[in-house]
Amino acid sequence: MNNPKRHVSLVAVSVAVLLLVGYGGSGLHAHKEPHTAEQLKAFEDVFLEQVRLGDDLFHGDPAAEKRMNTKLSRTGMACAMCHPFASDTHPHEFPKFQEQMSSFATLRDMINWCIEKPNEGERLKDDSEAMKALEVYIYWSNRHSKLDPGRH
Amino acid sequence: MNALELDRAARQRAQQDLAQGPDRGTVWTRRTFLHESLRQGAAGAAAFGFLPLINTLDIAYAQGQSFRFAWVSDTHLYPRNVNTRFVDKAVRAFKEVQAMNPPADFLIFGGDLAQLGDPVELQLGAELLGEIKIRKLFIPGEHDWYLDMGATWNRMFGASPWTFDHKGVRIIGLDTISHAPDFWTSRKYSAHERMGHMSVLDGTLGGAWSAVGDKQMQFISSTLSNWPKGAPVIIFTHTPLYEYYPAWNFWVRDWKVVQELLAPYSNVTNVHGHVHQVLYNEIGKMRSIGMLATSWPWPYAPEGVPTLTKPMIRADPGDHFDGVGWASLQSGVGGRVDNEYRMWRKTVFADAAADSGTDDNRNQVLSPRLSDRL
Repeated sequence: MNNPKRHVSLVAVSVAVLLLVGYGGSGLHAHKEPHTAEQLKAFEDVFLEQVRLGDDLFHGDPAAEKRMNTKLSRTGMACAMCHPFASDTHPHEFPKFQEQMSSFATLRDMINWCIEKPNEGERLKDDSEAMKALEVYIYWSNRHSKLDPGRH
Repeated sequence: MNALELDRAARQRAQQDLAQGPDRGTVWTRRTFLHESLRQGAAGAAAFGFLPLINTLDIAYAQGQSFRFAWVSDTHLYPRNVNTRFVDKAVRAFKEVQAMNPPADFLIFGGDLAQLGDPVELQLGAELLGEIKIRKLFIPGEHDWYLDMGATWNRMFGASPWTFDHKGVRIIGLDTISHAPDFWTSRKYSAHERMGHMSVLDGTLGGAWSAVGDKQMQFISSTLSNWPKGAPVIIFTHTPLYEYYPAWNFWVRDWKVVQELLAPYSNVTNVHGHVHQVLYNEIGKMRSIGMLATSWPWPYAPEGVPTLTKPMIRADPGDHFDGVGWASLQSGVGGRVDNEYRMWRKTVFADAAADSGTDDNRNQVLSPRLSDRL
């Protein structure tokens, strides 16, 4: 279930990171100085907030969908109903020839295929925030799997 | 080793000791044949497109009489205005059960009739089940339970556990889903929030909610106290009576106690739902058969399947009638029982690893979700 306070915390974390790296483009000069513990913590917080957002979207949380202005399913099915723990998503096997599409596909292509076909939802833009959140949740859950692109 | 690791070690030892398996008078074979479940003539064949091939697991008992029964579970019905795809598949299964010829002696509905325990969903299920005129027996699933803690379910479909004898077989139905630790009171969750958490297979708040429990252990003990040790027993449960994959409650947490309790009985078959997949295992002297859902197939557990399972073929996610179905179990001459997976596709079992949906699992390491713990 979604925690509405989380959206506020995501904004707060993002602002904190901007302050830590220096607002106004100083991020262009990353790695010139050793990272501080605060910076590393802030980077991690941004990452985990996106994982949590992706987790919520993946599990069909209505509040997260509304916030991201998405319609990932019209069938009552959520991603996690076929992929608990993001199992059988196999992000480490992409890109590969994907049988359902009869084409060489990326993980984002496959996410959109599942949204449009089994779930009868609305396709996401490849570079949308919702797509990145779904992608990072899938990668995070599978992060201990070994890269194996091309495996069927 | 922690408790879970100790349990797993015990399970592995039991699996390796084939001498401890079910009664050797029991024969287990596999065969495939064209079946005629769609007994609606050309109209039925046209409506569904083909006569499906059925894969069969046969058990032959040395004693007993002939009878047949059907299993349907995990329909996960939403109200019609949300989703009709699960309704369509439940209707198809119920029509096929009713069309069995000769008719089944009874239907066992193995739980998860509803998706969110909504009385509208349960009422819809009752209406659809009206298609079936034979005797119907029910055990609950967690999706039927946690909106009102089983009140509507028990009123409409009766409480568990229950038992009866049928043609030489002692049959027991258990509730293995109502034992979740109370995660909702301290969090002040509403009934819908509680149900929402329990409806997510990979949710973390419900924890190890699946169990038989002390009262039902006593019920089993009492029920079997006058039953010959070698006579057949069939136990229906929503969740499997062994440890397959605890993180998704593909187990009962007190499975070791169950095994000890049933150890004196050499001919016990557990038929269970919840896993939405072809599954077979033997632990000690008990065999377990996992059943298909009519709604959708779950993936196999990331850590793999029991050694004795021949995995089902990968389902096509673009065809929502694929990878699902129901089952017909038949006790033949002398008590012979067949288990037929009625899956609506040509091929059920995978011969090659690449077709099984488990081949990739060897390189799949997953993490429990974190969002629902915040």
